[in-house]
Amino acid sequence: MITIFKNRKDIPGDMEYVELNDLFFNQNTVSFIDKQAEKIIEMIDGSKLISKYKIYSRFDEIALDIDRLSTGCKTVLNVLYYPNKVFCLKECGNNALEILYHFENGHVFSEYALIPFIMDTVAVQSESGKKIINDYEELREWWDSEK
Amino acid sequence: MKSKPLVMDHFSTVHTSFIVNFRFTNNITILMGDSGTGKTAAFSFIRECMAVNPNILCINYLDYQSDIQDMIRRSDGKLIVIDNADILLNDDTRKYISLDDKNQYLIIGRNPKNLFATKENLFELVSKKMGEQTELTIKEYL
Repeated sequence: MITIFKNRKDIPGDMEYVELNDLFFNQNTVSFIDKQAEKIIEMIDGSKLISKYKIYSRFDEIALDIDRLSTGCKTVLNVLYYPNKVFCLKECGNNALEILYHFENGHVFSEYALIPFIMDTVAVQSESGKKIINDYEELREWWDSEK
Repeated sequence: MKSKPLVMDHFSTVHTSFIVNFRFTNNITILMGDSGTGKTAAFSFIRECMAVNPNILCINYLDYQSDIQDMIRRSDGKLIVIDNADILLNDDTRKYISLDDKNQYLIIGRNPKNLFATKENLFELVSKKMGEQTELTIKEYL
């Protein structure tokens, strides 16, 4: 399950926080792209991965550089390939959140609630410790409670 | 918040096979929705128009190190288009935008906090295939 932080200060000192998901993806994650990314790219962006650095766009049916993926898709792939870093969640649409919330590993941060309509069990970490939540309302309550 | 567009009520441009055709009904338009719908692509087509249209200012994550509020404060009579708004706009800048009576805004992001937005400000992108071309328009977000 993914772990969610709502305060920057709760992120352990040995974990890097990444806010600019586009830049991180373009410079780092791209070199790890493999078969695992295919389904995610298709589900979120409706694009087809045709090689490590190319996608087939659903809009104009031409091959594009993989940097044209949406920020939400890049965020999900960042979390997938770098489960020990913490990534900003704020630029994920609901379709990206739904996939991310089903991951077995990964860490994300947002000060405000970003919860998909369909969610799985997640871990939340704040100064009071870590706990497991599998209910939408309970998760919203945790997020909205005093920081 | 309902307020008439200050700079333009219609923006259109063409980028190869893409046609951007946006009709604005508010001074602040927040463009939200799922990932991968083409919001950033539309942003890049509008940004291209900055080369010839002095009434457009585009801001995105490449301006992460810049003072965004200062860029906005120095603008007058512009359509200010902000991609990656959820990471670029702090609360103070959002409040400034909500009260700005000199510029118009197209904000690409999902967090309407401190923009005093109502559902009338919330829009999503619609793409429609027309032969080999794709038209991008906006409609109210449900």
